[in-house]
Amino acid sequence: MAGTVIGEGLTIEGDISGDEEIVIHGNLRGRLTTTDAVTVTGTAVVGADITGANLSVAGQVTGDVTASERVDIQAGGKLVGDIKAARFTIADGASFKGNVDMEV
Amino acid sequence: MAETSVIGAGTVVSGHVRGQGSLEILGRVEGDVSVTGNVVVGPAGRVRGHVSGAELRISGQVQGDLRGTLAVLLEPGARVAGDISGPRVGIAPGALARGHVQTDGEPALAAAARAPLPAARPVTAPARVAPAPVAPPAPAKVVAAPAKFEAKAPPAPAKFEAKAPPVPAKIETRALPVPAKLEAKAPLPPPPKLAPPKPEPRRPEPARVAPPTPQAEFTPVRPIKPEPRRPPPPVVPVISKGTKAKKKKSHD
Repeated sequence: MAGTVIGEGLTIEGDISGDEEIVIHGNLRGRLTTTDAVTVTGTAVVGADITGANLSVAGQVTGDVTASERVDIQAGGKLVGDIKAARFTIADGASFKGNVDMEV
Repeated sequence: MAETSVIGAGTVVSGHVRGQGSLEILGRVEGDVSVTGNVVVGPAGRVRGHVSGAELRISGQVQGDLRGTLAVLLEPGARVAGDISGPRVGIAPGALARGHVQTDGEPALAAAARAPLPAARPVTAPARVAPAPVAPPAPAKVVAAPAKFEAKAPPAPAKFEAKAPPVPAKIETRALPVPAKLEAKAPLPPPPKLAPPKPEPRRPEPARVAPPTPQAEFTPVRPIKPEPRRPPPPVVPVISKGTKAKKKKSHD
């Protein structure tokens, strides 16, 4: 079960909060909070602060990210913002600009 | 894209949701929803805000207006507080709705519907006039009456020509089965054989149809003629009974 899916072509302006996986193919402006995984696919454009367990970014994300487990920026992904996570990877071909706090 | 979006049962969206494609709301949305595709609000779904889409299928709770360009359907268990509008609006048993409900089509359809209406009004008036002629099914009964006259008339010709009357009698019976039965019954009562079946048809038919309409109509229209006709039965029957019954029996 994919939980919540924001389809391509759909735009949400506001806050999203929940306790299940969220997959974003479309646009989101606001804030995103969940206790489960967050997936930002290649077609997605997100301008929001994101809080979740796992974050996978293949699209564009602008905002601060807080992950309880890990953050992965896939190839082709673009993330601008500060990251606070225990584990953090940036794939070859990904773009990133911001501060990283790995709770050392 | 026609991709379907889902607001999961454990997800709360505070803000507007808009765009292309269909949307399924199993969780909560605090804000307006406007999409080009269909919108489904699941049994556990809750929306506080206006919802617009192609076809809205609501099984949950909505506080806000519902606008469906194709249809708005409230499934059992739905609770809606707000105005509902769409070309097709369905509220199933078990669904609760509070608000204004309006079924209107697309702008073009609505305009077309409005245009014919004014024209239709004058048409309706003539239509009412037309119904009046239609109402004269009474006239049809009157026509039936002439048939009776013919029927009575035939007996006279019957005296002159025995062959001629039978044919009109058959035609009359076919054209006016009910009156023919009534007449037939009147003459028939005397014979005991026909008596048993008579009471059954007489009770339903004369009590319900024959007495109220025919009498009222016949008496005002042709008070003189019908009266002689009915009374005659007792008098004439003596003469005509045998002839008619024999003729009918022979014809039958």
